[in-house]
Amino acid sequence: MSTRLRIFMTGVGGQGTLTATNLLAQAILDSGTDLTAGEIHGMAQRGGVVESAILIGMASPKIAHGEADIILGFEPLETLRALPYLKPNGIVLSSTEYVAPLSVSTGKAEQTPLELIKDRVNACASKAYFVPCQRLGLEAGAIQSGNIALLGALCATGLIPLKPEELAETIKSVMKPKIADINLKALQLGVDAISK
Amino acid sequence: MAQPLLADNPGLKKLLLGNEAIVRGALEAGVQVVTCYPGTPSSEVPDTFFRLSKEGDFSFEYSVNEKVALEVGGGATLAGAMTLTTMKHVGVNVAADPLMTLAYIGTPGGLVLLSADDPGCHSSQNEQDNRYYARLAGMPCFEPSSAQEAKDMTRDALNMSRETSTPILLRTTTRVNHLRGPVEFGPIAKLAPAAGFKKNPSKFVPIPAFARPMHVALLKKLEELRELAEKSEYNKVTGNGKVGIVAAGICRAYLSDALADSGLADKFKVLELGFSYPLPEKLVTDFISSVDKVLIIEELEPFIENEIRILAQKNSITIEVIGKDNVNLPLNGEYSTGNVSAVMHEVLGLKQDKVTLCEAEEGLPMRPPNLCAGCPHRAAYYAAKKVFGPDAICSSDIGCYTLGILPPLNAADFLLCMGSSISAGSGISKAAGQTTLGFIGDSTFFHSGITGLVNAVFNQHDILLVILDNSTTAMTGHQPNPGVETTLIGSNPAQVSIEAIVKGCGVNDVRTVSPLNQKAMTKALEELKAIKGVRVLIAKDPCPLFAKRALGKKPGQTAYVANQSDDVIRCMEEIACPAFEKCEDGVKINEILCSGCMLCLQLTKDIKARKRSS
Repeated sequence: MSTRLRIFMTGVGGQGTLTATNLLAQAILDSGTDLTAGEIHGMAQRGGVVESAILIGMASPKIAHGEADIILGFEPLETLRALPYLKPNGIVLSSTEYVAPLSVSTGKAEQTPLELIKDRVNACASKAYFVPCQRLGLEAGAIQSGNIALLGALCATGLIPLKPEELAETIKSVMKPKIADINLKALQLGVDAISK
Repeated sequence: MAQPLLADNPGLKKLLLGNEAIVRGALEAGVQVVTCYPGTPSSEVPDTFFRLSKEGDFSFEYSVNEKVALEVGGGATLAGAMTLTTMKHVGVNVAADPLMTLAYIGTPGGLVLLSADDPGCHSSQNEQDNRYYARLAGMPCFEPSSAQEAKDMTRDALNMSRETSTPILLRTTTRVNHLRGPVEFGPIAKLAPAAGFKKNPSKFVPIPAFARPMHVALLKKLEELRELAEKSEYNKVTGNGKVGIVAAGICRAYLSDALADSGLADKFKVLELGFSYPLPEKLVTDFISSVDKVLIIEELEPFIENEIRILAQKNSITIEVIGKDNVNLPLNGEYSTGNVSAVMHEVLGLKQDKVTLCEAEEGLPMRPPNLCAGCPHRAAYYAAKKVFGPDAICSSDIGCYTLGILPPLNAADFLLCMGSSISAGSGISKAAGQTTLGFIGDSTFFHSGITGLVNAVFNQHDILLVILDNSTTAMTGHQPNPGVETTLIGSNPAQVSIEAIVKGCGVNDVRTVSPLNQKAMTKALEELKAIKGVRVLIAKDPCPLFAKRALGKKPGQTAYVANQSDDVIRCMEEIACPAFEKCEDGVKINEILCSGCMLCLQLTKDIKARKRSS
């Protein structure tokens, strides 16, 4: 396993992208690996694009185009938008469920079809995983926990220096018991989703 | 459990946001007074102090603007308190007046000014390089590149400021403020209570006779500080290559990764400058004498580059200095590991392997930032545009409401800076007699809108000022301002009335209405339209996110489309509320997003209210 790794995360404001980033970063640190994380949200109140990054074995908090080993997309349209960040033969994990931009929900623009997104991702990435995050979140008990399902899937790939059990420990240590239970279930559903 | 940031727990390692690390550094130095005006990317520094303020051993305030924050901080340090004052880069423009003199009279208790710069304009109207202020005022400058350094430099700068009685600029950039990294805690210093101000007019009152020797003393002090920079552990040389690289701020992080990625580390000798002003001239001179050519990597202005060119000339060192003019190192925007790596290759005359990137998909729907569902500003803009029509000039200001610039509201025609809406709007109306509306938020009104209002009254300008009072500072994260009833940690015991201020400024025509009541809002606007001179409409309704988070208000009702009609589509197109969604049979309203503001019900009979399903 590489000790130098760049993970690019993208989602929509209000979705919990930054919460997931912080949780993943804390879990990696808890497991004994130093890292730098960065986030840019600027004026993105609810509904804007939120991008964040975790870099292992590096000093910079920023990932430029062509540098990400892994893209973690919490929303499929944003996964597609982030593809230029992927390095050749990188890996993509993405939610398949949309949060529609205002232009789409008001009928001013067309929703980008999931099939097209999958095609573009598969053409770019050496491997791609698609996970119905919101559905898994609902199954676990809260739609917001869908992000944790995607983190579970990421851990289950074995591509990062963090095992699902280690992520579970951090969830237990930072969340209130009731919320932790939901997220632990979501984590497991995410692990199962890509292990099938 | 005590807050880990407040606990004396040296050796503990925690993942901290750069801004949280700054807080910890100040606590480790024993900070006693913290003042600020919030502004992204600095906001989490004061917000963290605010959260800790009930338990912490320091006094904290959200000042009404940056000038006031630095003046309160300046008084505190004169009374002997270890002081931190925080703001974003453009805030230092507001605070520049006291800053220039503070460097003359000194800071006996210690004072660090955090200037959070924003290369790339992630959340700002410009990307000015505030290292100019360090040189202009004559104050040392620290430029951290990691969370650990953000913590350590804040602590060390505060201590150095106290020891040398010089204000120090802690210059961060967005990437540093908003990165997260492991931070190893040090011990927390416990300082004796501030000793109090000791009178000494020749030292502290810069009348011309005293100011002249103060300037001489400051110049001498800068030379002493230069000696500290020569020895600082934040300025270090590594590597043995024939080509030199000098890097400052976050560029040091990009450089570190670029050296590791490229495998070119043995080709370069690196000088990192973390304590970058006054420039350690001896260290730099020795460095440039030891290499064949030198590449300077710093974001925005070529400060260090120019200083090195001067040093080379002064010392007759013939060396190629490679910087902004020679290679692709622009004067704008952020740098990255990638462009630093590209420049390193170019300087060595090496070809870089061409990487084929995944192409960006053309024409994807964008996600521009937008006024939230239920935002009262949307209702205020809608009514104002209806009453005044599209030709009235909208003079905007800095805050969430600037997002009213987007269609269909189109409610921001120009903008200068915080507090400029009424004064700049007055100028438009004065120059050409155009009908002018000024829009300003409650926090911005307190920040610097009041002086513009006083000026407009005194100079008999003709403008309608709409104060969009959403009872919080929404854009930067719900910080309190003097007008609020409630803050995130309790009620405001000393509320200042905006209406009383407006009247006190001499405005006779003042109305306060909720913009969510379109009938009352429209009526008030029509009445004020018929009058000339300075008129003020206070459009007051809380930010729905703040109402939910801090006031515990949950909407009982949601709007729904009872009859699909052209009227419903027109409503959606005119207000662009994000809770509206086009669907197969027309339009629906997303109950999760709907805040229950009921603006849409007032625009069409075909939308009605019902109890929420959950």
